[in-house]
Amino acid sequence: MSGDDRWYEAAFVVGITNALNVVADGLGGAVMRQVEPETAPVEVRAIFADIRTFYGTGGPVTRVLGGGQIPTPFGIIAHDAAYLADVWAAVKRAFTDRRLSRRLKTALAFAVSLTTRSAFGTAFHLAELRRLGVGEGGVMEIVGVTQMFSSYTKIADTLQLSSDMADIAPVDTSGVPDAAME
Amino acid sequence: MPTVRLRDASEYPEPARRLFELSRQWFAHDFKEPPAMSRVMAWDPHFGGPHGRAMKRAMAPGEFSRGEKEMVAAAVSGANACTY
Repeated sequence: MSGDDRWYEAAFVVGITNALNVVADGLGGAVMRQVEPETAPVEVRAIFADIRTFYGTGGPVTRVLGGGQIPTPFGIIAHDAAYLADVWAAVKRAFTDRRLSRRLKTALAFAVSLTTRSAFGTAFHLAELRRLGVGEGGVMEIVGVTQMFSSYTKIADTLQLSSDMADIAPVDTSGVPDAAME
Repeated sequence: MPTVRLRDASEYPEPARRLFELSRQWFAHDFKEPPAMSRVMAWDPHFGGPHGRAMKRAMAPGEFSRGEKEMVAAAVSGANACTY
């Protein structure tokens, strides 16, 4: 896991996951109506189709969503088609296989959702993990890591410990990648 | 500044110092003193022992590699706003 590029990718996944969870958990349900695919403007329907393709249809995620619907945060922000387009582009980029696999990125999203008590994110990314082929043993591995480090972090914070690891990682002296070359 | 005085490894009884050697092997790094968390956990082996075993079981390679799990642990620590 050396190399800064992996850590940038992980950070983007964590950030955008939290962004989706904030909207889904805070505004989902009865608080704010979602744009329905059947009545959405054509430009929104095109994005919804891409979202469906990215997350698959007929699998565990679809069951979480209630049968072929669009994931809550996208349905909510679809009231502004241009905003939806940009957010979706960022989400899709963050979760696409690059230096980190989509499978690991989904595990990160699941762990962060569980840690932040996001009901939407936990259920959504758990279903995604299963769709991507992670078994119950693998899910339990991520639950275990999340639980144990939710313990270590609070022990460390209570005792206000300073990091032992901060300066032992090798420095990545490579430059900034050119995304246009990918 | 820690809220407790972290004891040097030499202040711990022999059984705890053996655990420090296991900690050094786990991290594969020659710290001058065992990591702070290892010394905290060694304060009460009846808590730190099973806690450490649970952590090692969770972090062992399985469907996800040790490296992948370290990244998950880093993300969880970040979400918990923990700098340790």
